[in-house]
Amino acid sequence: MTRDFLLAFARNKGAVIGLAIVAVIILMAVFADVLYPQDPWDMVGLPFAPPMTDGMLMGSDMLGRDIAAGIVHGARVSLLIGLTSTLAAVFIGVLIGAIAGYYGGWLGDLLMRFTELFQTIPNFVLVVVIVAIFTPSLTSIVTAIALVSWAPLARLVRGEVLSLRSREFVQAAVTCGQSNGTIIVKQILPNCLSPIIVSASLMVATAILLESSLSFLGLGDPNAMSWGFMVGSARTVLRQAWWMSFFPGVAILVTVLGLNLIGEGLNDAFNPRLRRKRTA
Amino acid sequence: MPPMLQFLLSRLVKAVLVLGVVVILNFLLIHAAPGDPATVMAGEAGAADQAFVDQLRTQFGLDQPLYVQLGTYVGHIVQGDLGFSFRQQRPVADLLLERLPATVVLTLSAFVLALVGGVALGLLAALNVGKWADSAITVVALLSYATPIYWVGLMLVLVFSVNLGWLPAFGYETIGAGYSGVEKLADIGSHMFLPVVTLGLFYMAVYTRMMRASALEVASMDFVKTARAKGQTEWNIVTRHVLRNAILPILTVAGIQAGQLIGGSILVESVFAWPGLGRLTFDAVLQRDYQVLLGVFFVTSVLVIAFNILTDLLYVLIDPRVEITT
Amino acid sequence: MKHPIRFLRSLAVATALACTGTSLMAPPQAVAAEETPVHGGTLTAIIQPEPPMLILGLNQQAPTQTVAGKIYESLLTYNFDLSPRPSLAKSWEVSDDGLTYTFHLQEGVTWHDGEPFTSKDVLFSFTKFLPDTHPRARALMSRAESITAPDDRTVVITLKEPFPAFLQGFEMSTTPIMPAHIYEGTDYQNNPNNNTPIGTGPFMFDEWVKGSYIHLVKNPNYWQEGKPYLDDIYFKVIPDAASRALALENGEVMQSQYNDIEPFDVQRLAALPHLQVIRKGYEFVAPLMWLEINHRVEPLGDKRFRQAILYALDREFIRDRIWFGLGRVATGPINSVTKYYDPNVPRYDYDPDKAIALLDEMGLEPDGDGVRATVKFLPLAYGETWQRLAEYVKQALGKVGVKVVLESTDAAGWGKRVANWDYEITTDFLYQYADPSIGVSRTYLSSNIRQGVLFTNTMGYKNPEVDRLFEEAAKEVDPEKRQDDYSQLQRLIVEDVPVAWLLEMEFPNILNTRVHDAITTAIGVNETYADTWISPE
Repeated sequence: MTRDFLLAFARNKGAVIGLAIVAVIILMAVFADVLYPQDPWDMVGLPFAPPMTDGMLMGSDMLGRDIAAGIVHGARVSLLIGLTSTLAAVFIGVLIGAIAGYYGGWLGDLLMRFTELFQTIPNFVLVVVIVAIFTPSLTSIVTAIALVSWAPLARLVRGEVLSLRSREFVQAAVTCGQSNGTIIVKQILPNCLSPIIVSASLMVATAILLESSLSFLGLGDPNAMSWGFMVGSARTVLRQAWWMSFFPGVAILVTVLGLNLIGEGLNDAFNPRLRRKRTA
Repeated sequence: MPPMLQFLLSRLVKAVLVLGVVVILNFLLIHAAPGDPATVMAGEAGAADQAFVDQLRTQFGLDQPLYVQLGTYVGHIVQGDLGFSFRQQRPVADLLLERLPATVVLTLSAFVLALVGGVALGLLAALNVGKWADSAITVVALLSYATPIYWVGLMLVLVFSVNLGWLPAFGYETIGAGYSGVEKLADIGSHMFLPVVTLGLFYMAVYTRMMRASALEVASMDFVKTARAKGQTEWNIVTRHVLRNAILPILTVAGIQAGQLIGGSILVESVFAWPGLGRLTFDAVLQRDYQVLLGVFFVTSVLVIAFNILTDLLYVLIDPRVEITT
Repeated sequence: MKHPIRFLRSLAVATALACTGTSLMAPPQAVAAEETPVHGGTLTAIIQPEPPMLILGLNQQAPTQTVAGKIYESLLTYNFDLSPRPSLAKSWEVSDDGLTYTFHLQEGVTWHDGEPFTSKDVLFSFTKFLPDTHPRARALMSRAESITAPDDRTVVITLKEPFPAFLQGFEMSTTPIMPAHIYEGTDYQNNPNNNTPIGTGPFMFDEWVKGSYIHLVKNPNYWQEGKPYLDDIYFKVIPDAASRALALENGEVMQSQYNDIEPFDVQRLAALPHLQVIRKGYEFVAPLMWLEINHRVEPLGDKRFRQAILYALDREFIRDRIWFGLGRVATGPINSVTKYYDPNVPRYDYDPDKAIALLDEMGLEPDGDGVRATVKFLPLAYGETWQRLAEYVKQALGKVGVKVVLESTDAAGWGKRVANWDYEITTDFLYQYADPSIGVSRTYLSSNIRQGVLFTNTMGYKNPEVDRLFEEAAKEVDPEKRQDDYSQLQRLIVEDVPVAWLLEMEFPNILNTRVHDAITTAIGVNETYADTWISPE
């Protein structure tokens, strides 16, 4: 199984490229302090220096901060927010989805209504409002992103649990007298792990996009150098200095692309027969 | 069609319920905010005077207990009154109605573009599966799907407005140009082009990918094989059978994503200075204009529900099974 | 496009010139005055943000003033040196004891609806309308013992005690004259005529397409014969900064003011042949920007720490790189264009070593990470330039071992927190309104430490000598003695550094070169524009 899975994944060219991209981004984040030891907020050069001048690979911004340093350090913020908010969202989504699917009835109905509510409210508007109200910080941003991301996963998990709970092995566990909690955690969830993993990898990508959009609007954490902030702050000088918004944008694009490719590769590898049929 | 009427009715009842909860939730959420509008208004009036602050607070009911304010608000909404923006000195409903057309025009155009473009490209890719057209479309869709929407907007401005000078970069129309008739339409059209493409591109990528998968799935189904065996032309098969069936899952997803489409318009509107609800929302957040925020939330929720019903209707119209019964 | 670096260099030269006292902008003004005004033409100007309303007596936000300043008038207006000059009052006298002010009104003035303007309107505005709606006017008029109108053309105000700054309170934003025949006996806020402002000014309200433009037309019955020159004025609402710059560039609009144009764009636009930058016209408001420091928080209560902050900041960098040359490095609490400014005060030139020495003297030793103290900084949520300033302050203070943690908030959250003293360091800027006893003392008087009220002494600064001098100077009728008091005050306050003054802000008015005589007084773009004219294309 594992070997087949790895082979299937490795045969998918896109997935391998995605994995390589994400590996590079992770390395960048880990070794940011080695690559660019100085604080990315430091004004190290002349303002408005174009790429490849004044010793700066990607030029400087309007205060003379090195864009390349910002990109390397920004990888940390993107990955941190992408991963933590996804973890939180997966936790909420799986919890609600599993309870709704396993117990069904009025509780399941109620939970699904609640989930629907969160799908109805315009996601991004909600994120903007939450972050604005509780003032931008890493915590408020992660919380807001997690709050709007869990609903689709909850529906997915509910569907899976619903179909699994009537299967023999679950019924067998019930007859054995295992508690509901144990059945959910030990019997059911391991069997719907693959769709959860696929969703999660795509959710990381979405979370990174969301964070960058917030920072673009000026709702990022003011102490953390992030890609969206770089694009947003450079937006007004677009006409004078294209490089300030170009490079950070490319960084976001490449990272999100890499994560999407991995997600698809995983999906195909988990469901060899469904290849081509299902997409995210 | 009584079943359809029934369906619509049930959707409406659901919509009202959802809206009710949305209103209450939003109200509580927004009131959790730090920041007292009266203090800021007093400051902006150039005044530092407790009497003035108190006067403002009374004037806008900010001295009432929270539940009284909520009760008043819900009561007003039921009467179609969305409150009064003291920052802008105008009724919220007026502000929203003013901005609504721009957002509806932008999102609907983007939606149509995304749907038509996505379906066409997805179908094209599916029909040429494995060939270069398929690969090209797949790669472009992948890229568009991964690109931040605001950055696409900026780059389009950079290329088409700043460098080439073909299209206006900002705004809704040329202010004070005094155009009318066809000229006015052309003017608005040229201003709309970039925002619509920016907002539409992302969803076009989503629909393209779905359409490709869905078309491939349908094409392998029995009824398509039967049609082919009957000797129908390929064009007929594609349009009558494959397209109609493959488009259904896309409509479902489009309905669910309506909220995201409207949320995306916040970003696009702030890049292109498009005078719609999205910009209003952002300004209201920054100015802490409670009444406007509540109103925007209400109206965007209504929009999403309307959008859902619209896609449901499209679904019913396109679903071939309906055709069979008539 | 000009190379940005070269830009900065020419900018440095320009600012160097400005520092020597020669105003760069004087020549175009002088040239304009020599030409003969012509009638006709439409002025198009940016208005941003869109004003909430145009009834000047009810709302005094900056955009309201700019538009409604053409519709309404006040008794006086002020020259660049802040000396009064006639508007609706053609002459005035102040008694020797400084208690009685007599204003003689212009003849033949009518409201836009044809009703005659009389002293009754002035009386109504000063005793009823403004005290009810306008806090700054209320404060001013509460100094009056009596306000009377002996005849239709005369108004006499008697003060309770001398207040020489009183004469600075008669421009259109403090005391606009409102029509008694429309408002007398009504609910001012909800008067049905609030959508159609009626004033005495050279321009009348015509149309307001919300979100798009406000249209004013020439008042054919204006009391100044032969004026105004312009046929009409369009104020266009353009919410996006980049589109505002574009509109000036392509000639779609002919005027911008205040912060309409982002500082980095000003230089680029100034280089265009059809545009001119005029920095005058803000002498009346004279904004001064500073880092506000909460003295209740340790170690910010220590004067040496605050001095260290000033030494650690390169305020020329702030001016040149963040405000792109707009502004003057501030020397103390009084803006150099405000009355009674004295340049002879202790200086705090950029010197990180002195900052470190002061911190050492306080016993704040650096820890393992080089951090001597940590402070939280709550930047003013007024847009990008302010955010850039916060980023700079964080880096600059970091270099002397003061770690700055940036907080984030919107304008409302900022207001609430600062008013309630719930901050450590923040940015702020205040208008001075021509006289220190109006716009400066409010920040430093210990009697003005009022929790919950913004723009008071929110730092909690207390110096009894400062209190005494401010109170004495406010009543002092002799200008020389007054100057002495204020000079002493400035030296005292600058030694204490209650706030870290950064820049005297300059707002650029960017005007099409075809526009003449627009910026002629200390209230700049808020002037009536009766004298403004446009040369034909």
